[in-house]
Amino acid sequence: MILKEFRELVRDRRTLGLLVMMPLLLLVIFGYAANFYVSSVRAAVVGPQASQVAAMLPSFFDVTVTEPSGTQADAEMLLQDNKVDVAFVTGETPVLALVNGSNLFAAQSTVAALNKAGSQVKTQVLYNPDLKTSWVMVPAIIGLILTFIGTIVTSIGLVREREAGTLEQLAVMPIKPSRVILGKIAPYFLVASLDMLIVTVLGIALFGVPFNGNPFAFVLGAGIFLFVVLGLGVAISTISQTSGQAIQTAIFFLVPQVLLSGMVFPLYAMAAGVRWIGYLFPLTYFIMISQGIMLRGAPITSLWLPFVVLTVMAVVVFTGATLRFRRDLAPGGPGSPAGQQPSAAETVSTA
Amino acid sequence: MTGVLLRAAHVTRRFGTFTAVDDVSMQVRPGEVVGLLGANGAGKTTLIRMMLGLIAVTSGSVEMLGGPPDRKRRSRLGYVPQGLGLYGDLTVRENLSFSARAYGTAEPALPAELTRHAGALVGDLPRGVQRQVAFLAALAHSPEVLVLDEPTSGVDVLARASLWDTIRAQADHGAGILATTHYMQEAQQCDRLLLMADGRLVAEGSEADIVGSTTAVAVRTDDWAQAFAVLNAAGAPVMLAGRAIRVANADPAELAEVLEAAGIEASLQPVPATIEERMLMLARAAETS
Amino acid sequence: MTYAVRSATVRFGSTLALDDVTVEVPGGSVVAVVGGDGAGKSTLLRALVGEVPLDAGTIEAPPRQRLGYLPASSGSWAALTVTQNIDFVAGIYGLAGEELAARRAELLDRASLTPAAGRLASQLSGGMRRKLGFVMAIVHRPALLILDEPSTGVDPVSRIDLWRLASEAAASGAAVLMSTTYLDEAERAAHLVVLDSGRVLIQGSYDDVRAGFSGALTQTSEPVRIQWAWRRGRVQHEYWPGADPPPGAAIVVPDLEDIVIALSLARRNAVPS
Repeated sequence: MILKEFRELVRDRRTLGLLVMMPLLLLVIFGYAANFYVSSVRAAVVGPQASQVAAMLPSFFDVTVTEPSGTQADAEMLLQDNKVDVAFVTGETPVLALVNGSNLFAAQSTVAALNKAGSQVKTQVLYNPDLKTSWVMVPAIIGLILTFIGTIVTSIGLVREREAGTLEQLAVMPIKPSRVILGKIAPYFLVASLDMLIVTVLGIALFGVPFNGNPFAFVLGAGIFLFVVLGLGVAISTISQTSGQAIQTAIFFLVPQVLLSGMVFPLYAMAAGVRWIGYLFPLTYFIMISQGIMLRGAPITSLWLPFVVLTVMAVVVFTGATLRFRRDLAPGGPGSPAGQQPSAAETVSTA
Repeated sequence: MTGVLLRAAHVTRRFGTFTAVDDVSMQVRPGEVVGLLGANGAGKTTLIRMMLGLIAVTSGSVEMLGGPPDRKRRSRLGYVPQGLGLYGDLTVRENLSFSARAYGTAEPALPAELTRHAGALVGDLPRGVQRQVAFLAALAHSPEVLVLDEPTSGVDVLARASLWDTIRAQADHGAGILATTHYMQEAQQCDRLLLMADGRLVAEGSEADIVGSTTAVAVRTDDWAQAFAVLNAAGAPVMLAGRAIRVANADPAELAEVLEAAGIEASLQPVPATIEERMLMLARAAETS
Repeated sequence: MTYAVRSATVRFGSTLALDDVTVEVPGGSVVAVVGGDGAGKSTLLRALVGEVPLDAGTIEAPPRQRLGYLPASSGSWAALTVTQNIDFVAGIYGLAGEELAARRAELLDRASLTPAAGRLASQLSGGMRRKLGFVMAIVHRPALLILDEPSTGVDPVSRIDLWRLASEAAASGAAVLMSTTYLDEAERAAHLVVLDSGRVLIQGSYDDVRAGFSGALTQTSEPVRIQWAWRRGRVQHEYWPGADPPPGAAIVVPDLEDIVIALSLARRNAVPS
């Protein structure tokens, strides 16, 4: 029995991959990426005594902007655009330190550091005054839920056809492959949108998470993000023969995203060697959008980067996945169904 | 005990209010091949599962090799289920090795025509070869009883003949075999037949016994398509066979009337009925009841 | 309208699935394709349907709108009811409203599925599921109907129903091509094709096939040449390609099963493995 199971496991490359790669991945991530401790934060100094104050700040504060002619409004703009984690407004005593509460760990470290300065500095935390974890988490969880539904559920839904053997029939009928995909994805799009709505409303109601920004921008961002993850779902379905495989592959994509998208561990606290991986994930960019809009009320213009990246991802992933799927449905594709009675051995050539 | 290998005595099995098997008695003796026939839902699978000891009887008794079907006795039995019971992601050798070890016997040698498949994954092999492997696995421990569920389903003619060769050889060596089948021509390969319908044993014995009092009329005509349509529309249980149309349990005179009314010229002739026709009549009776 | 596959050759990697195969399917008749595993039956059907591209040869088939296909796999959506399955497929082909309802009722009745109309496809027996798949394949009255092993593993009564449904389709003018491992079905077809390892061993009407068969067949309990003998019921049949059986041997008239086996053996024994 043991021998048989081992033999089967060796042949099951996906499970093997999951069992071997996942622990390694987790080790690497936790080793290099997991870091609640922020070693330095981005700072801006504005106001008449900008240069002096900038020079006096300890190395913990990495001063990236020094603007003597800047006002408090300018400082707040920088924070809203997430260009800095803390902005000092000089000109009055005590110096006013505005902290970006949407970057939780940076904010916590900053506040701790500022407390040491005592009465010389008046600290004010914007966007998340009580530095509540839930306020930062809820926008990220919205993204997680969308990713979950988009990737796992969609891939299972499409693989079901292949498993049931009905994919072959669809391929022969006068129905365009793009329509098949759209028809299959639509319900999940609706369900995901509904879920997002519920979580957002609940998050606001239960945890008091603010929604300071433009809801249309939020919906737009979520919509584009949804397309990306749904596209990923379709892509996974084209490389899976059974729903078991589909789930495994989806998990393979999901777990790293949870850990490296900045949802749990802040991105800038990660070692540079690992941080770049985080920037490959769509969830990372959605979190930028959701936190930006919900907490900071940021305008679309300041969020142009994540929007553009997500749009490009959506186009690439969706197009690629659709093409692959079409190959499955069209002549020459590996459309041999996993039916109840396996048919004759036909080694299918890759078109 | 060179007596009965498998025995069911007044076996009944109920699932809630549904009676799947109703007072069935039968036996399998050494050296004979018994064919179990019946439509889907007739109770064949449930009966077999009770005889294998996989589910309990509601009333009556089952016996395997002289006693209750426990694990020890099952080790002297070979079973090939419809799904073959092979692991698609293991090679032929590996499957045989697993099965042999499970039964505590030596791994069987591969016959000539299978040696080239020895290292292939079972899931990649054609159906006929898969069946051969399944048979090998089931026979490796020289079982005294064989239970086969649709042994040649979906298999081509040549492979089918070869499989029945194997089955016959086992019977000649003294094993008793119980096989279910949907292919009535296979019924000829069996020594004895059992026909089940609605959980009951409806007929037993030779092919003639199974056919019972069912009659058939062969209708030969050039205009077969029309004749077929006309008779079908009239509600007659029609079937095609070769060039002729067959109608079960019909009165030739009535048929002639219907055909004449449609302006079709045909010659009618009573012919021996087939097992299928008996089953067709049973199905119709069940429908109307 | 006759549909056909002409001089078709299909390769999967290094395997030759079809080798210069020509099969015609005239409207109004049933053509049966028989052959063992790997003989090419499924490949031939899938090529005609357009699922498998040809490496050589041509296909003469109607557009998808006029094609009906029952694949070897299950063929129905398990989580939908019988009625929903039919409606879904009919919708794709453009049937709706009154016309759809009437057609559906008619087909369910012919396939003896009316009492099961509201049942989930996953709760149907194998035979009923095949019949459902069949109904879905002809709901739009296709000009060419392709059935891949429609009756494999199906109970005898449903098998009769399926054959009746196929005959009715042919009788109303469709060209029907079906593959089967059951020779009694092949015998009933207007035209049959025997495939072996991707090549056509013999084809024609049953009479043609019998007439074109050469060699003698003997019945014995002790075959002389093992590689030319096979079991039929309780006896063995032996094939003599040169029509030179030993004197005194019991000669039998070959039926289709004998012919198919004899030809396969001839091919196998002649070709060095």
